[in-house]
Amino acid sequence: MTTPTTFRLVDAPMALDRTAGFRFVSEAGEVFQAADGSWVLTSAEAVHFAHRHPEIFSSAEAFGAAGMPVPLIPVAVDPPAHRKYRQVLDPMLAPRVINALEDDLRAQIRDLVAAFAAKGECDVVRDVARLYPTQVFLTLLGLPLTDRDQLVSWVETINEQSIPGGTAEPVPAVVEAGMAMLDYVQVCIEEKRQHPGDDMLSRVLALEGDDAWSNDDVLGLCWLLTLAGLDTVTAAIGFTMLHLARNPELRRGMLADPELVGPVIEEVLRIEPPAPNTPRVTTQDVEVCGVHIPAGSPTILFLATANREAGRYEHPDDIDLAQADRGHVTFGGGIHRCLGSHLARREIRLVVEEFHKLIPEYEVAPGFEPRAVWPSSTLHLASLPLVFPAGGGPS
Amino acid sequence: MQLVIDDARCTGNGRCYALLPDLFTDDERGHGHVVGDGALSDDQAEAARRAVVACPEDAITIKDQ
Repeated sequence: MTTPTTFRLVDAPMALDRTAGFRFVSEAGEVFQAADGSWVLTSAEAVHFAHRHPEIFSSAEAFGAAGMPVPLIPVAVDPPAHRKYRQVLDPMLAPRVINALEDDLRAQIRDLVAAFAAKGECDVVRDVARLYPTQVFLTLLGLPLTDRDQLVSWVETINEQSIPGGTAEPVPAVVEAGMAMLDYVQVCIEEKRQHPGDDMLSRVLALEGDDAWSNDDVLGLCWLLTLAGLDTVTAAIGFTMLHLARNPELRRGMLADPELVGPVIEEVLRIEPPAPNTPRVTTQDVEVCGVHIPAGSPTILFLATANREAGRYEHPDDIDLAQADRGHVTFGGGIHRCLGSHLARREIRLVVEEFHKLIPEYEVAPGFEPRAVWPSSTLHLASLPLVFPAGGGPS
Repeated sequence: MQLVIDDARCTGNGRCYALLPDLFTDDERGHGHVVGDGALSDDQAEAARRAVVACPEDAITIKDQ
């Protein structure tokens, strides 16, 4: 039996350099018990094993008891019930559905970038990354874009105050924002029931008979989409633009060869995962990479360290487009593979393409040191000010 | 050589058809499928190995016939 270590995730030095932060985690061991009693899986082999045994590593146990007002659909559901939800939801977020939205989504990001392109400066987080994922969510659900700023405010209040490992006491501001957001979603549901459209929310509500969802299930889906699908994409956009800003060679190479946009996005997702770890609870005693974990153990799957495993990648801590095909587990794996992964990838791609059409040359504002917020429910940059030639337009 | 996707393992990451749209296609759920009968020439097999490596679920194999 391994004794708990002094390891605390909150001590990982993430702010300036995730390489240091993730190394802090992987150096503690492949499978080990943290000071708080939870088990941490850091190697690709251990994480893959957990992803492929959802019956042993329960997502429902991990996400079900977190004081959520509604069940987080579908991540808080284990097999076999999980399958029913994904069979309905996967087709609603499949690439061909997103293809149909692409022109609309592209026009929206073009407008966001055009608003500051002539100014010579912007903050990517404030002006793009915080706004665009919420616009995309509203578009997907057939809701008015004018709801954007209110929704951003609720989600940020909830996520910023919900620090993992923090106090168990509910923070009043979080409860208030959560209730307001649920009320808002409930009103949207009623409106869609009255006036169905060609959107994801209307399609879920149109399910009938044995396939019909309860009101709590629909609320839970919207809750998950907003809390897991907005700030994660915000973070990914921030990190992508950070690396492109800091590495002009990478950026210019990508602009000269549009085929490289995909590999750039994949490599940034690999080394800067917005959700670097994800929780599970063991349903039975299990041995992972030779280490015994008892039943009922809170377990952390550390995706970020699996993504940087030496031996799997020639340059594990650096962006190397030649290794982009090797893949990563930033979107998780197995049956709980991120439902929104196709949409997230498309959002990041549209931001990269449209931003650079208007602003091909830029750099991080002189003197500014980009910092990742940690500990946090989502690893993200709080701010990323950029400067570029005023007047806009490609030079 | 024969290109095969194990449907039981595929969870719809979509890397195969994103990387190699000539060899793979997507269905309405976003899961990957082999185009045609999956028979590969030597050149195609070389390309297909990229997808074998890229698949996060290890769902893709190239079988010698």
